[in-house]
Amino acid sequence: MKAILGTTALSLSVLLGTTAFAQDTTFTINSFGGAYETAHRACIITPFEEETGVSVNVVTAYSADAFAQLRAQKDAPQFDVIHFSGGQEIVGAAEGLLAPIDAASLANAADLYDFAKANLARGEGPAYSIAAIGMIYNTDAVSPAPTQWTDLLNPEYSEHLVLTDISNGYGMLGFLMLNQSQGGDLNNIQPGLDAVAKLLEAGALIVSTSPEIQQEFAQNDAWIAPYASDYAFTLRKAGLPSGFAQGAEGTPASFITTNVVAGRPNTDLALKFVDMSISPEAQECFAEALRYSPTNSKAELSAEVAADVAYGEEGVAGLIRFDPAVIEANRAAWVEEWNKTIAR
Amino acid sequence: MNDRTENLLLALPGILLLGLAFFLPIAQMLLLSISGPEGFTLAHFVRFLSDPYYLNILWRTVRLSVLITVICALIGFPLAYIMTKVGPKLRLGLVVIVILPLMTSVVVRTFGWMVLLSRSGIVPELLRDTGLVGRTFALMQTEAAIVIGMVQVLLPFMTLSILGVLTRIDGKLEEAARTMGCSFLQTIRTVVLPLALPGIVAGSLLCFTLSASSFVTPNLLGGTRIQVLAASIYKSVTATPDWPFAAAQAVILFVGILLVLVPYIKLTGAKHG
Repeated sequence: MKAILGTTALSLSVLLGTTAFAQDTTFTINSFGGAYETAHRACIITPFEEETGVSVNVVTAYSADAFAQLRAQKDAPQFDVIHFSGGQEIVGAAEGLLAPIDAASLANAADLYDFAKANLARGEGPAYSIAAIGMIYNTDAVSPAPTQWTDLLNPEYSEHLVLTDISNGYGMLGFLMLNQSQGGDLNNIQPGLDAVAKLLEAGALIVSTSPEIQQEFAQNDAWIAPYASDYAFTLRKAGLPSGFAQGAEGTPASFITTNVVAGRPNTDLALKFVDMSISPEAQECFAEALRYSPTNSKAELSAEVAADVAYGEEGVAGLIRFDPAVIEANRAAWVEEWNKTIAR
Repeated sequence: MNDRTENLLLALPGILLLGLAFFLPIAQMLLLSISGPEGFTLAHFVRFLSDPYYLNILWRTVRLSVLITVICALIGFPLAYIMTKVGPKLRLGLVVIVILPLMTSVVVRTFGWMVLLSRSGIVPELLRDTGLVGRTFALMQTEAAIVIGMVQVLLPFMTLSILGVLTRIDGKLEEAARTMGCSFLQTIRTVVLPLALPGIVAGSLLCFTLSASSFVTPNLLGGTRIQVLAASIYKSVTATPDWPFAAAQAVILFVGILLVLVPYIKLTGAKHG
């Protein structure tokens, strides 16, 4: 359905694009729909439109769909700026679909943490926000707060632990981190699988979508779940006493990147858009609205917001990025092994 | 225009629909299930049939479907029998009660069960409070939850199939059996049950095929850890994604249902056809 929506929106954008092309002011990007797109508009898109007078055409397409479209349009790209959350920019840059960025052309690039601008010259756009994976916990039941990933194995929590299936992107990252804390790595997920088997034996529960996590916290006495920081905020907005804790062993991160598409006429505008995305104001706005972690060291957050995200030099020091290419290559095999491990 | 062409013309839309919406996709699925990177292959079937994990999923699907069908028959037959014996007003009421679940979406019905069966839901809470079960007792994400949810969904099919046959049985036959000295239970066993068999068979076929291929209820009530074949197919399509393997699983489900149905129909059809 998302794909169909995306395609329809895209073909519409193509139509609009051709009519408005004469003025050369149509500017096409993708966003991820829902609350994300609302925040995206408020924090970046509308300010950009006001400042440049350009109208931005937003196509709703998730990373995988957007990347498929980008690939299909190789000879006549329609996006000016494209956003990914699953590491697609690495492949896109390698295939020459994304334009290299000169860090000097972005006013805010100097303030970005190093990991967020590592491969600009190669075409991998900067990370403008980060979904940090840690432990969401019930602040009433879990005291003191969890401090490390191995706390998930605490027998007292087992019956109140909620794990997420690895068909879910955040579930995958949380599992890989648990695996790492048990001595595994991307070449060996067996330690993680063994830990999951033990946890399930002790009474842990597996869900496959984020709304189910909320249901477990609301109705079924769930206390702790490895998941993304923004979801602790979602739970709190629903009136549940919940907090977010980063594990001492590291915080797996899903990087949301903003990339300049190669072969488009509006490169200056695209760079301007990317620059605004990585500005402290935009990132503060995103953190405020959705609790995504900023990548700009100048972004200043209130104590309340900061508690929910990976914030400051210390907070981001522990961020880990599992190689998206390796995850993609192993996904099918891992999902099957995971299914076999959790099957009753 | 003669009768033949007229008939054909009338049937044409149906045939087209059947061809486009049923035979074509089935043929595509069959093709997909034997296609590999280097052309024809049976690897997907070998992978399924040589892996205890997948065989276990197949066995669970069959086992649960049989169990659900038997329970539906055990509840459905007495219910249908009572419905034939009561007055027309009460019968209508009972029919409405039986059909009512069919009028709500399967998802809504299943969510109702999720609320009742969840860890802090009414049913486990009651059982815990009365001390019948331990503190860790749970009904959600168990096979029992799947059976409970599916029986409710499928009971109308069984009851109505049996009811249709029972209403056509001449009441005098039962009276005759009673005057000849049969007890009530003997009458049921020797007269009503054999005559109702076609209805029970039809209902069982419906229940078995529907529960073997059902996806929503087992997935929501059983959770990700208790896989049935339909859920496994879904996972292969979306999560992995491995379409040829998904197609192979679909073909196995299709053939498995056929294998159960054909002898069943033959056996009972020969006696009562």
